[in-house]
Amino acid sequence: MANFKDWALQYVLSDEEPAQREIATKAAKEIESSGASRTVVGNWAASVQPWMARAQSGYDDQMDDGEDGGGSDIIARAKALGFLAGTLKALDRKLLKTDQVVFLVGFFGAMFSYDHKAGITASAKALRQLYAMRAFKPDMGVKMIEDVSKLKEDFRLQTASTRLEIYELFLSLIQNPAVSSELQHKYGSSCGFTVDLLQLCQNERDPRNLMLWFKIITVILANFSTSTEVTEEIFKAFSAYFPISLRSSATPIGITAEDLKGAVRACFSAHQHIAALTFPFLMQKLDQGDAVTVAVKVDILKTIKACVEQYENPQTSIVPYIEKIWNSLKYEVRNGEVKETIDTTLEVLQAIANKLDGSKTQRLDATLLKSYIDLVFKDCRDDLANPTYTKQAGLLLMTVITSNARAYMLESVSFVDCIRQNFQQPKSPSHTRDLVLILNSFLKARLELIRSRNQGHLEDEEQLKTEPRVHLDALFHDVYLGIWTAKANEPNSENIEILKQVTRGLALLANQQVVQQDGSRALLCSGKICSEICTLLTQCLVRGLTLSSNDNTTNDATFEEEALLALRSVVMVYTPAYEEFVRRATTEIRKRDWENASAYSLDALKNAVSQLAFVGCSQIPSAIASDTTFSNSSSPVQHFITLTTAVLDIFPLSTPGPGTEALANSYAIAGVHAAILFFRDACTAKYQPEALVSYSKSDKNWIEEFGHLPDDWLQNLRVSGDENLSALDENDPEVYRQFLKLSLYLVRHLYRTASSGTQSIWTGRILGQLADIAALVIRNLGEQLQVSCNLGLEAFNFFAGPQTQSPEQISTGPFVELLTRGVLEGLWPGAMADLYNPGGIAEKFLCNTDGLEPFLGLQSEIRASIGSILANKYKGGPSTSDPEVQTVKRVLVFWGEEIRKATTSDGTEPKIFQALNCIAMHIIAGATARQDKAVVDLIPVFKAAIGSEHANSEIVARSLGVLVKDSELLKADNHAIIRRFYKQWAYSHLAKPLYPLASPSADGASAATRYRTAILSIVSNCSFNVYEADVEPLVRLLITTLTERSGLSQRVLSQQLVSALEILVEILSNEPDALKGHLKAIIGGGMKIYEECLPENKHKAEAGGEPARRRNLIMARKLVLQVLGAVPKKFEERYLLPYSLQLQRMLGLACGDPVREVRQIARLARGNWLKVV
Amino acid sequence: MQKSDLDNENPTILNVSQLPSREQKKAIARHGPDSSYDHLLFSRYHSSDASSVLEDDEEYEDVFDDALDQQEIYDLISTVSDPEHPHTLGELNVVRLPDIHLTPPQGDPRGLATVLVELTPTINHCSLATIIGLAVRFRLEQALPPNYRIDVRMKEGTHAQDEQVNKQLADKERVAAALENDSLQSVVNTMLKTCVV
Repeated sequence: MANFKDWALQYVLSDEEPAQREIATKAAKEIESSGASRTVVGNWAASVQPWMARAQSGYDDQMDDGEDGGGSDIIARAKALGFLAGTLKALDRKLLKTDQVVFLVGFFGAMFSYDHKAGITASAKALRQLYAMRAFKPDMGVKMIEDVSKLKEDFRLQTASTRLEIYELFLSLIQNPAVSSELQHKYGSSCGFTVDLLQLCQNERDPRNLMLWFKIITVILANFSTSTEVTEEIFKAFSAYFPISLRSSATPIGITAEDLKGAVRACFSAHQHIAALTFPFLMQKLDQGDAVTVAVKVDILKTIKACVEQYENPQTSIVPYIEKIWNSLKYEVRNGEVKETIDTTLEVLQAIANKLDGSKTQRLDATLLKSYIDLVFKDCRDDLANPTYTKQAGLLLMTVITSNARAYMLESVSFVDCIRQNFQQPKSPSHTRDLVLILNSFLKARLELIRSRNQGHLEDEEQLKTEPRVHLDALFHDVYLGIWTAKANEPNSENIEILKQVTRGLALLANQQVVQQDGSRALLCSGKICSEICTLLTQCLVRGLTLSSNDNTTNDATFEEEALLALRSVVMVYTPAYEEFVRRATTEIRKRDWENASAYSLDALKNAVSQLAFVGCSQIPSAIASDTTFSNSSSPVQHFITLTTAVLDIFPLSTPGPGTEALANSYAIAGVHAAILFFRDACTAKYQPEALVSYSKSDKNWIEEFGHLPDDWLQNLRVSGDENLSALDENDPEVYRQFLKLSLYLVRHLYRTASSGTQSIWTGRILGQLADIAALVIRNLGEQLQVSCNLGLEAFNFFAGPQTQSPEQISTGPFVELLTRGVLEGLWPGAMADLYNPGGIAEKFLCNTDGLEPFLGLQSEIRASIGSILANKYKGGPSTSDPEVQTVKRVLVFWGEEIRKATTSDGTEPKIFQALNCIAMHIIAGATARQDKAVVDLIPVFKAAIGSEHANSEIVARSLGVLVKDSELLKADNHAIIRRFYKQWAYSHLAKPLYPLASPSADGASAATRYRTAILSIVSNCSFNVYEADVEPLVRLLITTLTERSGLSQRVLSQQLVSALEILVEILSNEPDALKGHLKAIIGGGMKIYEECLPENKHKAEAGGEPARRRNLIMARKLVLQVLGAVPKKFEERYLLPYSLQLQRMLGLACGDPVREVRQIARLARGNWLKVV
Repeated sequence: MQKSDLDNENPTILNVSQLPSREQKKAIARHGPDSSYDHLLFSRYHSSDASSVLEDDEEYEDVFDDALDQQEIYDLISTVSDPEHPHTLGELNVVRLPDIHLTPPQGDPRGLATVLVELTPTINHCSLATIIGLAVRFRLEQALPPNYRIDVRMKEGTHAQDEQVNKQLADKERVAAALENDSLQSVVNTMLKTCVV
C-alpha cells in the first residue's frame, strides 16, 4: 500500500518548496492511480494523524497556557496539513467523489473552529482546491462560508497572506451564481452570513486584502437583496474607509492609492439601493469646508460621478438627491479656485444631465431633465449679471445645457437670450470679456454636439433639424459686431484682450453648422454674415500693407495672430472668403512702390505672403453648403489655386537694374513656395503617407498632359473651376495627388518662364528659390511617376517642350544651372538612369570645365552641387543605359587627371584651380557616399597631388574633408544613395594611409604639413567613433599642429587650426585620457594660439583682413577657449596645478576679447579654472 | 502676528520681459503661426551647400562690432540673486542699466577702463547693501579682464548710510578680507549661483 505516512513525514521534514511540491504530486499520483478508492483516500487523510493527535491532546493545555507550549508542533502540524492541501492542488479535479469532498470540506472546515494556530492557511488553501473540484456542490460553499466565519476574532490574528487566501475563497464562492443563490435561499433577505463576514473582516488594513474585501462587498451589494439593516451595516463597513489613502512603503506591493480609491468607489456605486445612504454621506463629507483637501474633494466628486453613472432607475436613485447635490456642488465652481476640482465638479453635473436624458435604448421623461436644468438656471441667472461670478455661472450653465442634444434643445434659446441681455448692460470691461468667453464656449460646445449627433439618441438628429436659429443668427449683429466696433477704436491692452475673444467668437460663429431636413450639414450664418466676418478679419491682416510705417503703431502681434487663426478657420468652411482676402491683399500689394521698396514695405510683403499661404493652404477646406457658395469653390485645392495664380499675376513686382536684387520679387515667389509647403503639411497630416503609394496605378505622363493645356489653364481654374477637382472629396487622398499635379504644373510654368526670361528679374536668388520649390515638389513624386514624366531629362531641358529638343538650345544665364539642381535634387536614382548613357548628358555635364566665368566662385559652387547629385544617384550595370558601369568611373578618372595636371605643371592659376577643385571634390563626394570603388583608384592621385610642391597642392589638401562632409543634397529625404558606413570607409581609405606621411619626422616638412592638413580636414568632418582607433597618432598630429606652424599660407593655417581644435574638443569629451600626457603641449600651444589669433597681433593676422580669415580666427579663439575651459573638468587637479596661475592670467585677458561670444566662453573657462586650487 | 525677519518684505518685482536685453534692440522676429517656414522662405541663401571650399563672406559680418558695453555689464550682474528674496538684482531693480557707467564708453580694449556701477537698494535702510555690493564687485572681478577698474557704489540718496557703505566697498583690503571670511564667501557664492556666463 502506499506509504502516505512516509511522504507526510518527508513533507513535514522538508523545508524546500520544490521538494514539497514533488512529494505532494507523488501522493496525488498515487490517489489518481487508485481511482480515488475509499481506502487510499482514507489512508492519505489518516497520514497526518500523528501530528493531529498530538495537537488534540495538547489543545486544551495550550488554551490554558496561553501562547507557549509546542511551537514546533504547530509548525509540523501546519506542514502536515499543507501536505494534504498540496496533494489536493496536484490532484485531478474530476477524481474525488461527492461524499469524499463533503468529508474533506467538513474536515478542513472544522479546522477554523478548532486549530487557529496551525490549520488556517493550509485549510483555506485546501478549501479553495475543493471548491474547484467537479463534485463541489453549492451547499458545500455555504458550509465553507459558515465554517470560516467561525474564526471570528482570531481572523485578524492570522497573517496577511493567510487572510488573502480566505478572501480569495470568499470571493470565488460569492461570485459563483449557484453558491450565491443557495446563500439567498438559505438566509433570505436577512443575509445573516453577511453580518458574520462583516464581523470577521471589519479590521482589515492590508492593501492587497482590502482590494479583495471591497470587491466582495461590491459583489454582495450588487447581487444580494439585503435587508435595510444589513445594507446599513455593509455601508458602514466600507464607508468607514472613505476617503482612503495609502502610506508610501519601502516595499511596493503593486497596489496604488488610486487602485484603492477605485475599489472603494466601486462599493459606493455598486447598486442603487444604497443611494439613500451614499449621497447624504458623500455630501456631508464634501460640505466639511476647508477641512477637505483637494485630493479628497476630487475623490468625493469622482465617487459621486461614478454613482450617478452606475445607478439604475434614476427616478428613485438620483432625482431625490439632485437638489442637494447641486446645492453643494455649485459652490465648488462658483467659489472654487482649483482647476481640478472645478473640472471634476462640471463632469458630475454633466453626468447628471446625461443620466436624466436616459440611455440610448431607454429614454426618460423630458421633465426630469428640464427640472434639473431649471434648477441650475434659477441659481445662475443672477450670477451672470454679477461680474465677480459671471464666468463661473456661465460655465455651470453652459456645461449643463450642452451635455446632450436634448438639454441643448430645451434651454439653449433662453441661455443665449440671457447672455444677450447681459451684454446690453455690461458692468465692466472684464464682465464683457467673460460674457464673450462664455458665449464662445457655448458655440464651441454646440459645434461638438452637431458633429457627434449620430452617437446619441436617434431622435436627437430629428430634434436638431427643427432647431430654432433666430437667436444664433442674431449673435453677429447684436453681440460680436457691436463689441468689435466699440473696442477696435480704442486699442488699449484691456480692449485688445476682449477683441481677441471676439475674434475667436467670430470664427466659431462662422463655423456653426445646422442639420438640414435631408440630414446634411449647412452653415448656420448666411453668406452675407460670413462675408462680413471675413471683411473684419481681413481688415486686421492687410492693415500692415495699407498703412505706412509711421501710421502702423499698434505692435500687438498676438491680436494679429488671433485674427489669422480665426480667418483660417472661417475660410475652411466658407470658401468664397479666401478669394476676397487674396484679392484685397494683392490689390494693396500692387498699390505700393516696389522699385524702391522700404524695409517696412518688404516686411509687410513678407507678412502678407506667409499669411496668405497660412490662411488658405495650411488646412484642407471642407465642403459645407452655404447659401452663396459657388459650385466651383468647394474643391479642396481651390485655395491653393487661388493663391498661386494670384502670386503669378503680380509677379514680377519690380524690374531691377542689372546687378541689383529685388527682394520684393523674391518674397512674391516665396508665396508660391509657402503655399506648397503648407499644403503639403496639411496633406501629410490628413492623409496617411501611404496615400501616395497607391497612386502608381495611373502613372501618366503629366508633363505631356500639361503640354495640351492652354497657357492660362490655372487662371481659368481659379475663375471657373474644374469639374474633376470640384468632385473631389476632402477626405479622399486623391486631393494630395491633385495638389502635387498642380504643383508640378506650377514648377513647369515657372521653369519655362525663368529659362527664357530676362536675367534682371530671374536673379540667382530667385532661381535658387525656384530650384527649392522644384525639389520640394519632385521629391514627393513616386519613382514610377518621375520616370513616366521623364523628369531626368527635364532637369536639363527646363520643361521647354518638344519644340526645343536639344538641351544646348536653352538660353543659359549665369545661374540657370540652379534650375537643373532643383529637379535633380528631388529625383529618385531610378528616374535618372537615362542620363548616364556613355557620352550622354550626365557625363558631358560632369566633365565640363568651361563656362565658369564670370562668376567663378558661385558658378563652380552650383556646378559642384549638381555634380555631387549626379555622381551620387548613379546606378550602372546590366539592363541600365550604362551596362559597362563606366560612366562615372570615366568622370572620376577625368577629374583625377585634372588634379594631377594642376598640381604638377604650372598651367592652372590657383584661382581657377580652386573653382575646378571645388567641382571635382563634390563630384567625388557624391561617389564616396555610395562607396564607389572608383574613388579608391584616386588615392594615389591625391597622395601625389598633396605631396607635390606646387602652389595648388595646398588647395587639394585642405578641401579633402568635402568628401565626407554632411550635405543637404546628399540626404535620404532627397533619395540620395547613402551607404551607412561610408564615412568609416572613406576614412580608412583616404585618411589612414596618410598618417605616416604626415608625421613631422618624415622627409619634407612642408609636404608633411599638407598631409596633416588633409587628415585634419577629413577627420574634423567625421564623428568620434570613426577615428576612435587612431586617436593616438591623431593626437600627435594635433599637438604638432598646435605647436609648429610653418610652411603654410595664413589662410590654410587658420583653417587647419580650426579643424585641429574641433577634433580636440571631440576627443576631450569622448576620450580625455588620450590627452593626459600632452596637457603641457595643449595648454601651452593653446595659449600661444590665442595670442596669435587676436586681431591686433598685426604681424600675424591683420585686423580687417578678408572676412573668411577673420571668421576662422574668431572660430579658432572660441575653440581654443573651449578646449582650455574643458580641461579642468576632465583631469584631476594634480595634473592641472602647474598651469593654473598662468592660465588664469591668460583667461582674465581673454575676458576682454573683442568678440562677445568669445568673451562668454572665456568667462566659463575662467570659472572652471578658478575652482582649481 | 509673527514679525518677518526680512528687511523689505514686499519689494517691487519686474517681469523678466521688462528687463533691458540685447534682443530688444534687434528687430523683432516674426513668430506667428504662419512663420514656421520663414527660414526656408526668406533666408538669404538657398540650399546650395558647396560653400565649404568657397566660404560666403557675409555671415559673420555682425560679430565684429560687439565691444564690451553697458548692456553686457548689466547682463553679468543683473543675474546675481538677492540674498533675501528668490529674485535677481535685475528683477528687483537694484541694478539698472542707466546706472552703469563705462569710461571710455567703447574704447581700446587693451587700454585702461573704468566701470562704475551704482546700486539702488530696495529700501534706504537695507542692511544687506554691503553684501550686495560685495557680490556685484566680486562678480565683475571674475568676469572682466584685468584692465578694468571696478567701482561699485550705492546711488546717491538711495541709502541712509551710503557714504559708509561706499567707503567699505571701495576699500580694496576690506573687500579682500571680507572674501577671506568663510561665511561671507558662502553667501556670495550662493548669490552668484544664478549667474550662467
